[in-house]
Amino acid sequence: MSFSRKSLGIPYAVFLLIFVAAPLIVLVFYAFTNGQGQFTMHNLSSFFSDPNTLGTLFYSFAIACVTTAVCLLLAYPVAYILAMSTIPAKSVVLMLFVLPMWINFSLRITALKEILNVLEGNLAMHPFLNAVIGMTYDFLPFMILPLFTTISKLDGALREAAMDLGADSLRTFLQITLPLSVPGIISGVSMVFLPAMTNYVVLDMLYNSTYIMGSLIGSYFAAYNWHGGSMISLILLALICLFTLLTGGGEEETARGGALL
Amino acid sequence: MFNRHRRSLFAVLAAVLIPAAAAGSVLPARAAQEKPDRIVLRVCNWEEYIDLGDWDEEETIELPSGDIIGENNMVEDFEEWYEETYGTEVKVEYSTFGTNEDLYNTLTLGDVYDLVCPSEYMIMKLMAEDQLVPLSEDFFDESQENNFYIRGVSPYIRNIFETKGIGGEYWSKYAAGYMWGVTGIVYNPEEVTEEQASTWDILTNPDFERQVTIKDSVREAYFAAVGAIKSDLLTSEEFRGDPDYAQRLEDEMNDTSPEMIAQVQDYLKRVKDNVYSFETDAGKADMITGKVVANYQWSGDAVYTMDQADEDDFELAFAVPEESTDIYFDGWVMLKRGIGNDPARQHAAEAFINFVSRPDNAIRNMYYIGYTSVLSGGDDPRIFEYADYNYGAEEDEEDVVDYDLSYFFADGDGAGEEEDEYVISAPADQVNRQLSAAYPPEDVIDRSCIMVYFNEEQNALINQMWINVRCFSIREVPVWGWLLALLAAAAIAAMAAQRFKLLKASK
Repeated sequence: MSFSRKSLGIPYAVFLLIFVAAPLIVLVFYAFTNGQGQFTMHNLSSFFSDPNTLGTLFYSFAIACVTTAVCLLLAYPVAYILAMSTIPAKSVVLMLFVLPMWINFSLRITALKEILNVLEGNLAMHPFLNAVIGMTYDFLPFMILPLFTTISKLDGALREAAMDLGADSLRTFLQITLPLSVPGIISGVSMVFLPAMTNYVVLDMLYNSTYIMGSLIGSYFAAYNWHGGSMISLILLALICLFTLLTGGGEEETARGGALL
Repeated sequence: MFNRHRRSLFAVLAAVLIPAAAAGSVLPARAAQEKPDRIVLRVCNWEEYIDLGDWDEEETIELPSGDIIGENNMVEDFEEWYEETYGTEVKVEYSTFGTNEDLYNTLTLGDVYDLVCPSEYMIMKLMAEDQLVPLSEDFFDESQENNFYIRGVSPYIRNIFETKGIGGEYWSKYAAGYMWGVTGIVYNPEEVTEEQASTWDILTNPDFERQVTIKDSVREAYFAAVGAIKSDLLTSEEFRGDPDYAQRLEDEMNDTSPEMIAQVQDYLKRVKDNVYSFETDAGKADMITGKVVANYQWSGDAVYTMDQADEDDFELAFAVPEESTDIYFDGWVMLKRGIGNDPARQHAAEAFINFVSRPDNAIRNMYYIGYTSVLSGGDDPRIFEYADYNYGAEEDEEDVVDYDLSYFFADGDGAGEEEDEYVISAPADQVNRQLSAAYPPEDVIDRSCIMVYFNEEQNALINQMWINVRCFSIREVPVWGWLLALLAAAAIAAMAAQRFKLLKASK
């Protein structure tokens, strides 16, 4: 067998097969079988007929939507200012935004817990707010990076042309910069929205006792209901696929932003 | 008492793996010279549930009958002891689990262990599924010097193991106890009175809105809810005075009728709206830092919490609900899948149980873990001495009470024992503190009962109930919630449209 550059991909292909494809097959098998190993659609139908699973889906969506919106509103101005500025050590400033990611996740949330405790008094009074703050804190860099990358790559000549033709700076922003930065927004949104649907550890550590998708799946497994839990995982996977397809996540910007982390 | 319950899993792994690697490199040569029989014993225990040794000099426990110090990992000590005593080399592959359900899941997925240490209800499940190997007759022979378990187990615990069972078989046939305790409420006496803390009603008490935590455990929550709902019955004179009280209590507390489950669901929804959280791990720390004023907890963890708070000069107390409490055990059982028909392996497994039940080792484990061993020590006085060492009053202390532990330590035949042999004179406040959590007083024991293993049908109902409590129901979504959802859907659709526009443009 002659050595080709493609051979370099073999280790990853093996990894993919063992740790992605094989579990997925197991997942699908469990999702469509019952305790006796027979084929059944029961798990699927019970997902859509149970007010709890649907409610949890809604609740997870709500947390993810609000988190994403807050992240976007916080991150866009920062990314914009940073990308437009002419300071010499831009990448150092950018690093500062990524810096929190270098600290262990549970340590960060524990610290956040103490800060929130001082600010809010009794933490348990605001479970939804806590979840949103915790997730925003955690996922904000994922939003800043792709936005920054996209905005810095914009051609300045377009803005100058708009200004020359008499547009004021607000109009230039709304009609030139914002539309052109949409790919960055899409990357950022999908990088924040998807993990925010399932990251139940944040809720757990910040005293929100309501289940989201991640904890619901966990509770099915703890009750030995592998089949129901697998079905929920599968449906979540399908939703994520749909979302990614619709919004076109996983494009070049994502990869660029991700490489910095 | 200094407790190290929260050591990292890494330390456990390192302690187990490093000697394992070292042993692995030495063994082949030796095995070739001598007999080839080297037993491999696969043990799976709770995380941080055995002494890993490496104590400082000043941690030495000085008892009247001798000093005790943990120098080495107890698993290594066992390997050494077994080879010295029985002349056969044994290699323990020690691993850990986090919850009973995790353990069961790993067993279902095909992991093979010889000896595991689940809680009583999981033992009952494994018994019902015929997964266990009975303990041998030899194990119960009190005349053998090395049978530390049967020679030292508390008569009180032994009686429970010999009278409780499932499917016509008693626990004692398969299981040897390790640690035990009750559930109760750790509270801050400055904020909560003893009376308020001594009932499950504290979980729904509006005076403590969002100030009490409860374990994120469906079984504990269910038990507490049943007790709170039946509070009037459970505390009535008539019920307490019933000659068949113990059995009736157990039946009432293990009520899984659909009506009861429905009531529990309503009650737990109220609990969820009133408590600080269902905590998985934060309860102890939140108690110590004062974020909450009470925490429904296992007694072993309660001892740990109070010890930690003491170090910060912050006093906490412990109370057991007046209605009832569940008494829990973790015990060693041997698995058929692991042991098979290998008598040598079974011998090593039983020897392991006996080794950790040797009084000095039991004390090392108690010190390290913070839970209370099921052993009273039999003829060996050290375990009682250790209780006295921990909780007994100093000689010059004034406010002292007598705390009778005969129910646990006395062997019942009365021969050769003085009446007050097992009475600790303790500082008065210990009656509501560590001592009462480590060794509950007799009135608590009287109103305690076990929580049995529920069958699959009951479990399915209870788990569904739990999901109903914990999940946000789609029916609760307010109109504005739906409107916002529409808005979000529109945003996603807009993004999708944008994407397709971009795609078209690029073509």
